[in-house]
Order: sequence, then C-alpha cells, then structure tokens
Amino acid sequence: MRLKAIVCQVLSREMEAVAPRSPHSVKVEALTMGLHDLGAGMRSHLQERIDAADAGGYDAILLGYGLCGRGTEGLRARTTQLVLPRAHDCIGILMGSYKKYADYFEGHSGVYYRSPGWIEFQAPGQWLQPAQATMKNTLGERRTREELVAQYGEENGDYLFEQFSAYRRHYSGLTYIATGVPSDENCRTLARAEAEREGWAFEEVKGSAELLQRMVDGEWDAESFLVVPPGATVCTALGDAVVTAK
Amino acid sequence: MHVDGEVMAQFQDLYDAIVNGDAKKARAATEAAIAAGTATMELISGSMVPAMDEVGRLFEAEEYFVPELLLAGRAMKSAMELLRPLMIASGQRFPTRVVIGTVKGDLHDIGKNIVASMLEGGGFEVIDLGADVAPEKFVAAVEEREPHVVCMSALLTVTMPAMRTTIDALKSAGLRERVKVLIGGAPVTTEYAREIGADGYSENASGAVSLVKRLVAA
Repeated sequence: MRLKAIVCQVLSREMEAVAPRSPHSVKVEALTMGLHDLGAGMRSHLQERIDAADAGGYDAILLGYGLCGRGTEGLRARTTQLVLPRAHDCIGILMGSYKKYADYFEGHSGVYYRSPGWIEFQAPGQWLQPAQATMKNTLGERRTREELVAQYGEENGDYLFEQFSAYRRHYSGLTYIATGVPSDENCRTLARAEAEREGWAFEEVKGSAELLQRMVDGEWDAESFLVVPPGATVCTALGDAVVTAK
Repeated sequence: MHVDGEVMAQFQDLYDAIVNGDAKKARAATEAAIAAGTATMELISGSMVPAMDEVGRLFEAEEYFVPELLLAGRAMKSAMELLRPLMIASGQRFPTRVVIGTVKGDLHDIGKNIVASMLEGGGFEVIDLGADVAPEKFVAAVEEREPHVVCMSALLTVTMPAMRTTIDALKSAGLRERVKVLIGGAPVTTEYAREIGADGYSENASGAVSLVKRLVAA
C-alpha cells in the first residue's frame, strides 16, 4: 500500500522508528505540536493537510492524532480512507493502548505526562503547558507574568499569573513515558530534572510505539483503530470507542 | 442618616469597582456602604448583581475576556468577604444554593472558578467543591447542603465520563430529582448533556448564570 501519515510532532521520534519497518510505502508529514491549543482551529489545520494528501492517490491517510479535545472531530478525506487510533490524545497513543492509559489515569490523578516528543519539541515558552493534549486551551492565555503585569498593573498582573498557573500546584507527580526510541535516555534525564524543579514525584512508565507500528503496517484492528470510509467524517463517540465515523 | 444621593454614590462606587476589576476600590466602597448603614441585601442587589450582569454582557460582546472576568470576580469576592459576616449575623441567606466542582481526575478549574464567581456575584449561595471531585463527594454535598443546582465541569474528554457516573450516583442515592444538573467545559456539548441526562449545558460562564436562573425559576 501507499500510505500518507500526518502526525503530531510529538509523535515524530516514534514515527521515525516505526515507518522504516513497515512493509508498505509510508510518507510521513509531521505538524507542529500544540495545535490542540487552537481548539476548533486545529481542525482546519489538519483538514488542509488531509485535503492535500487526498489528491495524492494514497491507499489510506493515517492520522497520528487522537480525539485531542475534539480537535480531530469533523475531519474527512473526500476520496481516501482515513485511519486513526482510538485514543483521547497522544498520551493514550504513547502508552500503547487506551486501556493502559485509562487504568494508569484512574490510579494517578494530578500527574503531568512527558514523553520523548514532549521533552524534545516543546518550545521554551510552552513550559506552562500540561502534557495532556486533550486540554483545549480556549482561555487563550499563554502570557508571561511580565506581559500580564504590563497590561494589568503589578497587583492584578500577579494575581492573574497566579490564577493561570494555579493548576500546576494541583499536580503532584510527573510521569515519563518511555517509548524505547534512541532519545529516551536524554529525555528521561530532562524529565527527571523538571520533576525536581517543580517538586513533583518522578515516575516512569513503559510506553510503546506499537500502536503506531500497527498503523503503518496496515494492521487496523477494529478495537484499536477507526477506519473512516472516503467521504465519511470523524465523530466523537466517547465510551471505549472514543471515535466513530459518520 | 444619609442622603439619597450618597447612597446612590455608594452603589455606583461598588458597581464601578467590580466592573473595573478593582478589588481595593470594591473593598473601600463596601466599607463605606456598611459604615453608612446600607442594608446588605440592598447593596448586593443594587450594585453587585447588576455589576456581574454587566461583566457577563461585556464578555458576550467580546470586550471582556477571561482576565477581566477573573479580576471582576476577585473584586466581587473582596466585597462579599465583608458582607458575608453581616448576612450570617442577621440570619440572611441567598434563596438559591448551587454546588459546583470539576469532576474526578480533572484538575482544571479556571472556568469553574469563573462560573462560581459569577454565580456568587449574581446572588446565589455557591458551594465550591474544588477540582478532582469524586461522584461520592458530589452526592454528599447534595445530601448535606440541599442545593437547587449542581454544576459540573470537565476540560478533558478523558474525564467527561465522570459526569455520567456522578449523575448515576445521584440517581442511586435517590437524589437526582431534587437538583438540576448542569455541565460545562471546553469539550462538553449539548448533545453530551442530553446523552447523560443532564438538565443543561452552557458554553461559557455568563450563559451558565442565565441557565441557572432559568432552571431555578421553572
């Protein structure tokens, strides 16, 4: 098969590891991470890339995205089938399965997730951003203390900065998801340092690129993947299915 | 004894301070009003409620954004801090009680905090359970505090199912009929509200306040 994979940058190291091992021809396009911050705007970005790929005559367009706070809802490819993992977000994909994510999430609330991609590609100014792609930032507030003070004055600016970063105080742990890529070692070290800086307990979880490997291998079992027929649309299903096609 | 013009000025001062998000001035205006013997409920309905209404309107008109809402909420709260002891002392209560919280597993609370502020400023008694609130805790709050409305917030699609679980828990406890349940949060939709048997959904804080008012009046 000739496959086009449009993936979030956060998954690019894992994609680099799995694509060459696929028996199929896989062309990978990585989009800058953090699109989920745009809320509904994420959809138009992805749709544009899907439309471009649609014209390429591929056997399938693979999406390296989950539901991502509904950012992938409404996507469609006019003439090509679309394949995406049944995952709420990249954390679920990196953990290898929704079930593993759900179980871990259940027992660990207040956890900040990091992975090789989250460590490597997150821009310095984005350090305030939680590593859970399902959080749609409709507040649109990613400003520094300096910017807020400049606009609202010292006291109000300080108060606003404190409010916007308050959630960080709710977090008590940082979990590094090791996916087995070459940069794991370095990224783990950086993740551990971040945990220390924030005063969070550090934990590591063994993730996997297995879901992505199956996706590029064309092994799209119904339990793990949604295959959207040409012309149909990605919809939210929640429950175990997470996504469905209409 | 005070002159009518002076009373109006106090109402205006507090109104302005809240709309402008000035907590210091809100406190000062409230202190002045209390010193002048202004009735607490009159002050609240005469300045605080219209101020929060105006803040909501400005938000809908996209002149105010989240920072302005947070600052107005803070100004309102600093006024309430002074008024609450007086209300308690005279046995006055707001007629409608709202329990609010972010669901289990979810730690995001800015939106929830804004809704809580706007409800409080709108003349409701707000019981804020915080974030990561388990269904059992919502149930306990309904049992103990007998609210009219329960508001739940979630910012992750992963935690949205906890809204369904909480509604089910209220049903199991025989409490579902006693309250109106409203839900909100970025990934939440009207369809989801319908699907899980909630009474309503609002896309933003000012919508939430109108919805609470409507549901309680019904």
